[in-house]
Amino acid sequence: MKTLLAFTIVFVFPWVLFAADDSNQPQKIADVETIINKANVMAYYQGTDGKAKVTMTITDKKGLTRNREFIILRKDDKDGGDQKYYVYFQRPADVRGMVFMVHKYVALEKDDDRWLYLPGLDLVKRIAASDKRTSFVGSDFLYEDVSGRSLAEDAHELIETTDEYYVIKNVPKKPDTVEFAYYNVSIGRQTFLPMKMEFYDKNNKLYRTIESKKVEMLEAKQGEEIVKYPTVVQSVVSDLTTGGKTEMEFSDIKYNTDLKDDLFTERYLRRPPREAIR
Amino acid sequence: MSFGSTIVGISIKHNKLVIALMIIVALVTGAMIPLIKVDTDPENMLSADEPVRVFHDQTKERFSLSDIVVVGIVNNKDPGGIFNPASLTKVYELTEFAKNELKWPDKDNPERQVGLIEADLLAPSVVDYISQGSSGQVNFEWFMKKPPATQTEALEIRDKARNSPLLTGTIFSEDEKAVCLYLPLTSKDLSYRTYSKLREKIETFEGDEEYYVTGLPVAEDTFGVEMFIQMAISAPTAMVVIFLLMLVFFRKLILVIAPMIVAMISVITTMGLLIGFGFPVHIMSSMIPIFLMPIAVVDSIHILSEFFDLYTKQKGRMKTVKEVMGNLFTPMLYTSLTSAAGFASLALTPIPPVQVFGLFVAAGIMIAWVCTVTFVPAYIMTIKEESLENFGHAAVHEEKANWLTKVLKGTGGFTYSRAKIILSVIAVIVMVAVYGITQIQVNDNPVKWFSKSHPIRQADIELNKHFGGTYMAYLVLEDATEGRIEQGFTDYLKQIWQKKAGELKEQFPDAANAISQAEKLLESEPSQDETREQYLERIIETVNAKLDAAKDTEIDFWYEVTDFFEKEKAALALFKQPQVLEYIAGLQEYLKETGLVGKSNSVTDIVKKVHKELIDGKPENYKVPNSSAAVAQCLIQFQSSHKPNHLWHFVTYDYNKTNLWLQLTSGDNKDMEKVVKAVDDFFASNTPAVPLKYNWAGLTYINTVWQEKMVFGMLQSFLGSFIIVFIMMAVLFRSALWGIICMVPLTITIVLIYGIIGLAGKDYDMPVAVLSALTLGMAVDFAIHFLERARESYNQTGSWKASASVMFGEPARAISRNVLVIAIGFLPLLLAPLVPYKTVGIFLCAIMGLSGVVTLTALPAIIKIAEKALFKVKASPKSMSCNCAFCLIISAAAVVLISINLHQYWKLGWIKMALISVIAIPIMALACGIMSRKKACKNVKTESED
Repeated sequence: MKTLLAFTIVFVFPWVLFAADDSNQPQKIADVETIINKANVMAYYQGTDGKAKVTMTITDKKGLTRNREFIILRKDDKDGGDQKYYVYFQRPADVRGMVFMVHKYVALEKDDDRWLYLPGLDLVKRIAASDKRTSFVGSDFLYEDVSGRSLAEDAHELIETTDEYYVIKNVPKKPDTVEFAYYNVSIGRQTFLPMKMEFYDKNNKLYRTIESKKVEMLEAKQGEEIVKYPTVVQSVVSDLTTGGKTEMEFSDIKYNTDLKDDLFTERYLRRPPREAIR
Repeated sequence: MSFGSTIVGISIKHNKLVIALMIIVALVTGAMIPLIKVDTDPENMLSADEPVRVFHDQTKERFSLSDIVVVGIVNNKDPGGIFNPASLTKVYELTEFAKNELKWPDKDNPERQVGLIEADLLAPSVVDYISQGSSGQVNFEWFMKKPPATQTEALEIRDKARNSPLLTGTIFSEDEKAVCLYLPLTSKDLSYRTYSKLREKIETFEGDEEYYVTGLPVAEDTFGVEMFIQMAISAPTAMVVIFLLMLVFFRKLILVIAPMIVAMISVITTMGLLIGFGFPVHIMSSMIPIFLMPIAVVDSIHILSEFFDLYTKQKGRMKTVKEVMGNLFTPMLYTSLTSAAGFASLALTPIPPVQVFGLFVAAGIMIAWVCTVTFVPAYIMTIKEESLENFGHAAVHEEKANWLTKVLKGTGGFTYSRAKIILSVIAVIVMVAVYGITQIQVNDNPVKWFSKSHPIRQADIELNKHFGGTYMAYLVLEDATEGRIEQGFTDYLKQIWQKKAGELKEQFPDAANAISQAEKLLESEPSQDETREQYLERIIETVNAKLDAAKDTEIDFWYEVTDFFEKEKAALALFKQPQVLEYIAGLQEYLKETGLVGKSNSVTDIVKKVHKELIDGKPENYKVPNSSAAVAQCLIQFQSSHKPNHLWHFVTYDYNKTNLWLQLTSGDNKDMEKVVKAVDDFFASNTPAVPLKYNWAGLTYINTVWQEKMVFGMLQSFLGSFIIVFIMMAVLFRSALWGIICMVPLTITIVLIYGIIGLAGKDYDMPVAVLSALTLGMAVDFAIHFLERARESYNQTGSWKASASVMFGEPARAISRNVLVIAIGFLPLLLAPLVPYKTVGIFLCAIMGLSGVVTLTALPAIIKIAEKALFKVKASPKSMSCNCAFCLIISAAAVVLISINLHQYWKLGWIKMALISVIAIPIMALACGIMSRKKACKNVKTESED
């Protein structure tokens, strides 16, 4: 099954099907395919759209910090299908108005479309999506952490089941396209949210981690119903090589606000929609 | 009984005890040697709180800069140069090797690793390539993710390199024959380790490529390591040669051992004390043995030489030793004191390792002296009389006069008959030498401490042919106003705000009330100590408060106001401002044109490159965009690469400080100084749009700073010790005139040596500077011996003619033997692969040779001409203080001496010093006059008149 599970998307927009009170007992799931597919479904195909304000604090090994602030909008074409992102930068003030837009395609053979709008140059530019493991605006997060890594890119193995987590080892099928040798993900048995990702290099040395630091149950409307979505509201990536780390905090999280499709088109790059700014 | 004969007497009487004591002292101090701590960092030539070092460390910290080992891979054979699959594969493998193997657990904290800082590594496979992708996309990709499999792929990499001005001249050579890897290390004292490991790996490669490893950290660290190895080779070799030469002259193994033991004991005791006192052995102090050895053996050679010449079987050892020591005690004491003074004066230079070096060599010299006057007589006494069978000049002389004796006799006669000619010739030579001194180039470069055949030197030469340079210097620019509110700033702000407010009025016709409030925002003037940023921050806070309290109809309006002021605040950041970036580009262009800077890298280069690729990749867009917001956006795009932190080597997070990374093809201090001058000139003739101040960091620059301190410190300490030696000589001979004459050979020797250095075009570098102290201390030795003996002889013979022939007998032989032993003994140093060792060898040869020749020619010639003046008063005055002229000269010398030292330490100008001297000298003259007229002196005078 070649659907997308963007583990890290979950940090930004987790839509998890069942509310915590729905499942008091962790489900008895044994095999890895089922876990990742379940997690994929749980994490990914909830709601139809979402919005969050993100504050990023980049801290270097000396303890000096820089900040980024942006609003991120997301809309699914259909459940299990393609997705669209619109990221509007608020801070630093001199990059305000910069927009990063992605049309993400499920089909592995089709590269995502990525656009950039730079107000200072009044320039709309396409960005090549061939290598997604570059830094996301100077932070320790990579584009792939934000826009997702295809399930089909890795071979998965359930290596441990603890009281809290399923630990899954992911080995890339094309090792020379990435800088890691493999990574382990600890998926919460309760929420099916990835709580920790650990990246190992070719010498089997841990060099990078992403952790979910804070999960909240957020209310959302699903049709006429009020549901609760467990949502990661704080996550931290640590680069053990540089000694730097980046913390992302999410606020003003809204689900199912009925974002219009045409908002995710080129003509809205220059004139951001109101939803993206406030 | 005099002090000297008491000591000698005791040593002779208790000879076994003296020997035992010496050995015990040597063993005790020698036991401390294993505690040795080594410090080979030339940065420590400056004390740690020296401003330039503090700034250098701050700069490294601020811009995450590290000391860099440069590895070059060159392919001169392949027509495509380095861009072929085989060569690039090796480049890739070497990079992987560096990433994986050049890390070691930290000694203090085994959890942490030291060695290569992988995040800052520069190599084709770990840097980014920014380019136009297909269909007008901008693309960030690894430059060389994996080595090319085919020539076509290799050529693709070449084309990328051609499109990467940020990397050309740094990673890729312009001639396309070479690639450089830049390996930043956590600490530069790992450079040698890194260097050795790299060389091991390189050994395993086959093919047409040549490999080079260099960079100042490697040179400095490797020098430290090789220097110690060299010390272990050179010092013993010199010892052996000296030993053999002495054997040739004195023919008795058992006697010749004595000077060897003196040298060993002096070196061991001195080094033991140095280490025992907790001083690290620095590059300077590692040379203590090599400096101490010749000085230590010189006195013993005098003793042996005299002993050899005076010994006869009839006289026996005891009597001969007493006679020899009677003749030599005073001159040896004074030669040791002067040598020690020469080195001790180094304690006045502002360079800590040189101070330690000077003081311990001085201490070592005095230790050697004590050994010589106690151990040598004691040792001679332990030798059985039978062992001295056939020993001595008399025994040898009876057979035939040897060549040395003949030559010296001839010289003696010549100096008597042709005194004026000799002095004229010397005068001419000195004048040429003085011209030579004016030609001296002060210059140093630690890489040039290796001889030309050394791999590091070769690497330096080869890589600097291909690249922008392996020497790093960092020019840090920052806001000279430190954010202060300058005149015109508030006017400017009001003006643009008025314009904006006008636009907003039209845009928000319903927010009239809010607009009238907003228009008053800038009525609150900045307070006195507020910075521009704080002022704008204060206004933004006011606006935000209004935004929070705003009615729905006014929210958008207030939002626009915040946006305006926030953007103005962001635009304050200096190194996002287009005109400032252009200014830096202008500076870079200027530096490039001087030919001194091979490549410079700045935030401007990054902005231009990203701008070009963001627009369309066409060369005309390789430029700085016209607003600071556009610059900021280009830079945030740059941070969307694999190596976003690369930016922070060039600019701080607040964009208020920038670092211009200069690559120099030459690490010569004189070239770095020219670059500094060029930058000064540029700033003087091009006023930046905003006031900028600048400062230097980087090892290449630091070297120029300690060099300057060294040269001037050495010069001052040299002048100081010159005067000290003069005062000592005047006191020794109880006459200023004799003191002056005694300084003649020394002065001529020094003038000649430095004249030759100037004429030969040899740079005046660290070793040469330090050797001036050695020159001073050693060159005066022979003059002391010669004059002291000459006076004694004159007292006996009553005429110089008769004395001269005595002088060119035994005393001249002692001097000549010394010259030959030391000069030849240190010649093996010339074979060392380290240039400072060669320099020491040449210097010792020159000092001994020149001062020996000058002493044996100039001094007798001067005495011949000035015989009457020199010997007019047979008995020297009883009290020195009674001689008015003597007192005056000594006082004046003392004033000058004190001024030199005050100048150095209190940083008083020379003019002030001159004034103080002008006042001090007449006062002292008066004092001298009064003293010489006191009653006691009158008595002396009348006595002598009687």
